[in-house]
Amino acid sequence: MSRRVVVTGLGVVTSLGIGKDEFWKNLIQGKSGISKVESFDVSNYSRSFGGEIKNFQPLQFITEREIKRMGRASQLVIAATELAFKDTKIDAGHLDSDKSAVIIGTTMGEANIFEILNKAWLERGLEKVDPFLVGRTTANLLSVNLGIHYKLGGINLVVPTACAAGNYAIGYGFDLIKEGRVNFAICGGADAFSRIAFTGFARLYAMSADICQPFDKNRKGMLVGEGGAVLILEPLESAQKRGALIYAEILGYGLSCDAHHMTIPSEDGITRCIQNALKETGVRPQEINYISAHGTGTAQNDKNECIAIKNVFGEHSKKVAVSSIKSMLGHCMGAASGIEAAACCMAIKEDIIPPTINYQTPDPDCDIDCVPNEARRTKVNIALNNAYAFGGNNSCVVFKKYER
Amino acid sequence: MKDKIVITGIGVLSSIGIGKDAFWQALEEGKSGVKPVTLFDTSKLKVKMGAEISDFNPGAILGEKGLRNLDRATKLLLCTGKLALDDARLEIDDINSNAIGISIGTTVGSLWSISEFDKSALRDGPHFVNPAEFPNTVINSPPSQLAIRLKSKGPCATISSGFTSSLDAIKYGIDLIRNRRAQIVLAGGVEEFCEQTYLGFYKVNFLAGVKGPELSCPFDQRRNGVILGEGSAILVLESEESAKKRGVDIYSHILGFGTHFYPYAINKYEPQGKGLKKAMKFALEDAGASAEDIDYISCAANSMQDADAIETASIKEVFGKKAEEISVTATKSMLGETFSAAGVLAAAATVGAINKDFLPPTINYAQKDPVCDLDCVAVKSRAARINKAVVNAFGPSGSNSCILIGK
Repeated sequence: MSRRVVVTGLGVVTSLGIGKDEFWKNLIQGKSGISKVESFDVSNYSRSFGGEIKNFQPLQFITEREIKRMGRASQLVIAATELAFKDTKIDAGHLDSDKSAVIIGTTMGEANIFEILNKAWLERGLEKVDPFLVGRTTANLLSVNLGIHYKLGGINLVVPTACAAGNYAIGYGFDLIKEGRVNFAICGGADAFSRIAFTGFARLYAMSADICQPFDKNRKGMLVGEGGAVLILEPLESAQKRGALIYAEILGYGLSCDAHHMTIPSEDGITRCIQNALKETGVRPQEINYISAHGTGTAQNDKNECIAIKNVFGEHSKKVAVSSIKSMLGHCMGAASGIEAAACCMAIKEDIIPPTINYQTPDPDCDIDCVPNEARRTKVNIALNNAYAFGGNNSCVVFKKYER
Repeated sequence: MKDKIVITGIGVLSSIGIGKDAFWQALEEGKSGVKPVTLFDTSKLKVKMGAEISDFNPGAILGEKGLRNLDRATKLLLCTGKLALDDARLEIDDINSNAIGISIGTTVGSLWSISEFDKSALRDGPHFVNPAEFPNTVINSPPSQLAIRLKSKGPCATISSGFTSSLDAIKYGIDLIRNRRAQIVLAGGVEEFCEQTYLGFYKVNFLAGVKGPELSCPFDQRRNGVILGEGSAILVLESEESAKKRGVDIYSHILGFGTHFYPYAINKYEPQGKGLKKAMKFALEDAGASAEDIDYISCAANSMQDADAIETASIKEVFGKKAEEISVTATKSMLGETFSAAGVLAAAATVGAINKDFLPPTINYAQKDPVCDLDCVAVKSRAARINKAVVNAFGPSGSNSCILIGK
């Protein structure tokens, strides 16, 4: 069996908006979701900015009782799913548990709960650590909490492939629907703003002191963000039958591993990843209108990503629009590629490409068209969503405007 | 036509043996990996036992180079990968590296690293953390380090689904092969033994020794919790065609897979085993097999009061009359509960049982429980021919997976 797979619902919870409409409006206006970090004390750090979601009110989506029982990452992913269900006009209660999948990507899992436990451990001793919280720490709980919240069974997995995790989840959901194992998949990613991630990136000197400027000559690094994003995937026939709005079709995806270094991305691995995606989907480089870049804003990432794009696209590399919405949101870890996938779907649906903001000085190492500072209205027929990760776990998903 | 998937290599690091031959022999002898914990202090706890890999010396397997900043889970997995590759007579070079993938199940493999990194920042200040230890805090670190070590450049995936992680990772690996994303996949799982995980299981009242004897005694009336263990296993998977082309021996076929998450509650077993029954049925369907075809079941039974009874009742319902004839083993009686690694360790044990014609025992079995009345191969292994076997994994938060392995 081989079925066409389409995206029929989007749910996003980001620092630039909760729900796809607000998110998209701010994205194409080139707004920034970056602000002073407030969720923990940053006074003894040399960095203090991040992409926290300041107005996220979990109570709008989940009961107080549930909120006490789960970390923020689970809350973000459930909120994103609720928004996606509303968007696609489906009642979760009507789904067939034998033919559904929940696949969620994450980098840090329920890191916030670890952070509470670790603090209590140091300050008050092990005996005082709350046993209830201990059972709430594992990463698999992101999809488990989601399944329990909606009483939805089926295939239920967390794919913790760090910053490419959202794409991995979408890719596996695509496989499951294509081959007929499930008829409905909730796929995406979530990560809460994490002290551990903030500490780590600060210590690696990978973090900017103020703004994130992907592809700019003077780029000073990434910024940590948070978010949740969910795409609803289903087979084309079922979308047509229920008259659902189709954002885009997923043609396929490519994976690769750098097998090189835990934190330094390799141009070779990225090149192979994009090539694998093109090979699987049969799409030619000239057919691609938009690349949603991994574009973290670090010197190394952006340079290597541009080399890879040039390796694959040759002359066409200067004609394809490549933007990084991390310039606006920061790096939302495991949620990032899920959010970027939602942005690809919106770009295809609206024929608008979101910009790379904070772009001032061209860098000869990054001589691609990064859609600087202003969104662009242009036909978007095929979009690539690039995502790379710690460990060199690369992924690239191909979205296409739906045609009969 | 789906590719037939075969196992052509096995790497095991367990508390009862390192390397598949030692592991299989220990299973046949009914060895126990449970002993007093040495890796951290348990004097303030009511429990003292664990199934550690006590003679673990990564340098002996990998050489001393490049191990300094790696955590225990990563070292376990790197050693396992090396053993699996050698066993499969697979050399990764520039020509085949893009075709070699990795799919590993782990859930708390990086827990120690996450916790120590965070505590170091809190204690000493964020400027004093060791940046080389930050990459260990991501959950996909052990599989990614394995890819770096082996120079395998195909897809590298990590799966976290709690107790079923490594069986789910095997299925993800099978799908990588069938979808032509990789030709050969190293699939398995790893969990390390560490204070944080031990205390976690202790705090949620899952450990044996508080309400009864500190013993891993699945199906036995005295069971009262798990003995936590550690381990890692990798199966080298490829299509039958690929194995033939490489001219390597085939240990077993993977005939089918079934999974079903049943939404119930966190850290509580759903009493009727609804998800587990579905997972077993789906696996049989996927393999085109019937209950009559199954000779042996490697159980997930872990010495928890409810888990073992639920698995027994579920097997009886799915296999009907045949359940009376099927022998079942709880390898966790020897290995302890290795969480995400448990599924693949049970699979590696089952491949041994199929190839060496024996039924691994359920050790520590002494007092019969009427709600666990299957033939659990009590205490001593038995000689038997196995054609088709089922391997179960399930956990208290709703995940259930099952694979079917054949000669």
